[in-house]
Parts: sequence; C-alpha cells; structure tokens
Amino acid sequence: MNRYAMLTAFGQDRPGIVAALAEGLFELGCNIEDTCMTRLRGEFTMMVMVRLPDGLSADQLASRLTPHTSPLGLTVLCREVPARAAERGSEPDAPVFMLSVYGADHPGIVAKIARVVADHGGNITDMNTRVIGAEDRPVYTMILEVQMRAESQPAALGHALDGLKPSLGVDLTFRPLEQVRL
Amino acid sequence: MGFCDNLLIVAAQPILLYPDPALKAKTARVDPANPEVAAIVQDMLDTLKASPGVALAAPQIGRLVQIIVVDVSRKKGEQGHGLVVLLNPHILQQDGPRIIREGCLSLPDYTGNVLRYERTLVQGLSPDGLPVTLATSGFEALAFQHELDHLDGRLFLDRIESLSTDLFRRKS
Ligand SMILES: [Zn+2]
Repeated sequence: MNRYAMLTAFGQDRPGIVAALAEGLFELGCNIEDTCMTRLRGEFTMMVMVRLPDGLSADQLASRLTPHTSPLGLTVLCREVPARAAERGSEPDAPVFMLSVYGADHPGIVAKIARVVADHGGNITDMNTRVIGAEDRPVYTMILEVQMRAESQPAALGHALDGLKPSLGVDLTFRPLEQVRL
Repeated sequence: MGFCDNLLIVAAQPILLYPDPALKAKTARVDPANPEVAAIVQDMLDTLKASPGVALAAPQIGRLVQIIVVDVSRKKGEQGHGLVVLLNPHILQQDGPRIIREGCLSLPDYTGNVLRYERTLVQGLSPDGLPVTLATSGFEALAFQHELDHLDGRLFLDRIESLSTDLFRRKS
C-alpha cells in the first residue's frame, strides 16, 4: 500500500527554493504528487503531498531533507497522511461558487464570513486574502471558492452573506462558477 | 425493421485519453466528396451517442481530420442548433470574454479556469459540402470553441489563464 506525507516549507523567498526541495525529494526517492506554492509577501510557502518510498518515514524525510533546505533557511515540516485521504478520487460534481469580499481593513472579517459559509453547508475549497490599497487606506480583500453540499441552499447563503454587509462594512458578491465538461 | 438493419454496424469508438498522441497532432482538411468522410462522421455520431458528452472532435477517436460534431441539446435545458456536423470549421469572430471552469472527456476528472467567449461565429462545410455559418452563444459557443481547439491539438490545459492568486499580482 502506498504511504503519503504532507510536507510544508516556508522561509524567505529567493530563487532556487523549489529546485532545491524537488531535488532533495527526488534523491530520497519521494514522488511529488500534488503541490501548492505561493508567496505571502516576501515569504515563500509551499505544501507538497509526496508518496514515500519503502522504508522512509515522514519524520525521517524531514531530517534527511535538512542538507538541502537548511542552507536556504527553510522551515520544513512533515506529517504522514492517511492513504484514504491522499489517494486520487474523482472530484465530486458539487456546484462551485466564487465569493469576493472587500472593504476597509478591520479584525474579524474572515471569521464572520467563514462562519456563515460553514453554517450554510458551504465548504471553502480555496481562499486567498490580501491587504491592498494605499498605505493610509488599507483595503481588505478575500476571494473564496465555495463548494456547496448537495442538500445545501446557495440562495440562503447568498442572502445571509448580504446580511453581513452593513455590520461588517464590506462589499461582496457571491456567484456561481460555470463548469462545463466537453 | 428491414433486413438491412442487421447489417448496420454501430461503430462507437473509445474516446482517446491524453497522453494519446492523436490529441496533440495536426489535423488535415477534408474533402466532403471523399466517401471516407461520411464513414468518419458516422463513427463520430455513434461515439457521441454512446458518450456522456455533447460534442466530439475527430482526433478524439484517432482520426486526424478537421471534423467536429456538436449537439448541445444532449444536455438538459440546452437547445442551440441541435445536432451540427461541421467539416473544416474555423472561427470567424468571437466576443464577450469570460472565465469558465472547463473539463474534457479526453482528460477526465480535472477542470481548469480558461478564458472563453460568450458568442462565437463559426464557419465550415456541412457533410454534403455546403458552406455553413453558425452564430452560437452561451454553452453552445463554449462547445464549438473547445472542439475547434481539439483540431489544433490544443487542450484546455494549454489555455489555463491564471492561478487564482494572479488576481492579486501587483502591477510592476
Ligand atoms: Zn475535449
């Protein structure tokens, strides 16, 4: 049976980090499955799901990667992931919605929005937030992808989100993302 | 039921999956008078009928020729032009850019965000060789854009517009 690990790495961004990580994983016999990497401001952040070779544990992977990652000042964490979560399955054909929220920056926007989404049976499957705008007029923005469970009511969620606008002082749109299979 | 029905060969083909090289190959224009064209069209129609989709391009059954079949009425709530068979099709013009999440029968279980157009004007030949111009919109326009890409060896992966985070890239 295949064994998988989730590896997260972060550190000050500079060219060559992905190359060093990928080379290290390759030399250790790990197979890179799915990856997500981005920069949060000046910080490099990466999540990699790897398939472990026989005889290598997730803990050992972290320590054996050190020669590759410590010169770059990277923090690397590894945890084994249950195979049933890591094996590829077909994506559920649930309706997908995009939610954009933006307004003057203040604490609590993400918490309030995410709670309403959860309480209406929405599953946040992708999320990006940024503080943008002028230095003295910061604007908080968040873009979420929300998958609705079959029995849930997107219209009710849309209504509840609209209801948050005055108290949170944000603008928002909640709209379906058209999916076509051709 | 006539006795000829016994001779009818329903030739639904398997839909090729990437990395089959046919999906990245160049395709040739066809001559409607060539009897082989009618046979390929029939194979495509049989294959479409047996598939869960609404459209097919010839390379998806391994024929490297410029033929597409589209029938969006196979999808609930869609009408469009019904069943359309087009030889040597090309796009005359399109407008109304929009991002949609697209998937392909030849690349199952994966979708990506691509830039498509709301309206597409398509030109080609009918199976009997007559010129056809179709004004399509909405889902039908998306289907034509997708199938025409197949004739160029192009998959939706070649059109992924941006990662979600690109929205936040600073102008530099
Ligand atoms: Zn396709």
